[in-house]
Amino acid sequence: MNWFPIFYREILLFRRRLLRLGYVVSALFSPMLYLLAFGLGLGKRVTIAGGTYLDYLLPGLIAMTSMTNSYTWIATSMTVGRLHFRTFQVYIQAPVTATDIVVGQILAGMVRGLFASGILLGLGLFLATGLHLNLMFFLVLLLNCLVFAAFGVILGMKSRSHEDTATFTNFFIMPMAFFCGTFFPVDEMPWLLRDIIKALPLTHTNHLLRYPFWNLESLGSLALLSAYGVVCLALGIIIIRRYSE
Amino acid sequence: MHAMIVTDNLGKQYQDLVALDGLSLQIPPGEIFGLLGPNGAGKTTCIKILTTLARPSRGTARIHDFDVVRQPLAVKKLIGVCPQEINLDRELTAYENLWIYGRLHRMPELAARIAELLKFGNLEERAHSLVREFSGGMQRRLLILRALVSRPRVLFLDEPTVGLDPQVRRQLWNLIQELKLSGITIILTTHYIEEAEMLCDRVGILNRGRLIALDTPGALVAKVGGYVVETLNSGRRQYLLVRDKEEAYARAQTEPTGVIIRQVNLEDVFIQLTGERLTN
Repeated sequence: MNWFPIFYREILLFRRRLLRLGYVVSALFSPMLYLLAFGLGLGKRVTIAGGTYLDYLLPGLIAMTSMTNSYTWIATSMTVGRLHFRTFQVYIQAPVTATDIVVGQILAGMVRGLFASGILLGLGLFLATGLHLNLMFFLVLLLNCLVFAAFGVILGMKSRSHEDTATFTNFFIMPMAFFCGTFFPVDEMPWLLRDIIKALPLTHTNHLLRYPFWNLESLGSLALLSAYGVVCLALGIIIIRRYSE
Repeated sequence: MHAMIVTDNLGKQYQDLVALDGLSLQIPPGEIFGLLGPNGAGKTTCIKILTTLARPSRGTARIHDFDVVRQPLAVKKLIGVCPQEINLDRELTAYENLWIYGRLHRMPELAARIAELLKFGNLEERAHSLVREFSGGMQRRLLILRALVSRPRVLFLDEPTVGLDPQVRRQLWNLIQELKLSGITIILTTHYIEEAEMLCDRVGILNRGRLIALDTPGALVAKVGGYVVETLNSGRRQYLLVRDKEEAYARAQTEPTGVIIRQVNLEDVFIQLTGERLTN
């Protein structure tokens, strides 16, 4: 395995962009906005599942932030690197395998997802009291970052323009962020929509981050998330292995 | 001598467009081989196939006996690629760019190799500057240095001096000529006549995906004649190829307007073969 230089390159770029204040603000702008608008606005007045709305909302926002940051970083980096700057071609012409490329990219995406969700988690510790920070919580957070970073690899390789990535984000990622139990329980949705929503990975991340306990339902959700991760990883490797200009 | 690069009936087709059509070549080790042709002739497609970036639609290509399709990892260990576009990481320093490339190739004693290359390319003092602060010429030099980090046996230079001013272009030519002394095999694509004539041991001329001529620059030029008489007739430039200077002078006497007499170059070879100009 020789994934380290690919991972390290992304981390160097991430570190350099991190020093620009605007970059961090833009990465956390949406979740902060939701946290302030919904969390603080409705937080104490509305109760869900026996707790405050803020307690309900925070794990959802952490899941959403880890998803968007892991996915967006990789999808954008690979699309732009492949189509515009052509830095991706350096990997293809170097003696590294498709697995090395995918693993390096995914790990870098996970770092970014964990960084953004970690900041939100730190802030949330001051605002909400209902978080269950145990091994499963962090395992699920990692797994969510992996699933969506791997998803970012697939999209980054398949996009024919930067607009493709933005379109996919608008039509798939954003609706998933809203409907998969981030802001309100999935059970409130009409039955057909509910079945579709329950097949999506973010629904299970939201559930597991709220109730990170070892039981049959959680294991089912963990298994589904893991399956998403394995399938996306495998697809990413196959796509890169078949890459030809 | 055993060839370093062998292609046999190599072809690439993109839907209706034939980008490369049955290219067969043998390039011995240590040669600077030029692929000359206008834009869209198939030069970059050929480089992409040989560097494993594109799969051929037909035919085979081998580098040091490794098949580029079946044994891509073995091929990648042997090659260094300097693409047409500057695909350095502009937000990283020169040193970081070289380091990452070296790690991709699992280079031992990488720090020493990078220091050696930065000295060779006269970029030592800018090692820790961001690439986006470099001039175009410096970026091109760094791009070539990056391709050399892994001590490649074969170096691909795809239009290495495109868009550079003449002075910087000459600096890069000196760099390439120094590389030749190390025994490396170089495949260079260009549409600059002077570049091909000055640097290449042999030149293959590509037009619309087909190899239309292959020889040393001197032999190619000798095939079409020794001199050219250029005339301007009703605003149209016309070229007449003649054997020697005496014949050129005799022709010039008969022309009513001003004429230019010069030695034949590879552009004239291209015009003779295709009826079109190589450059705009």
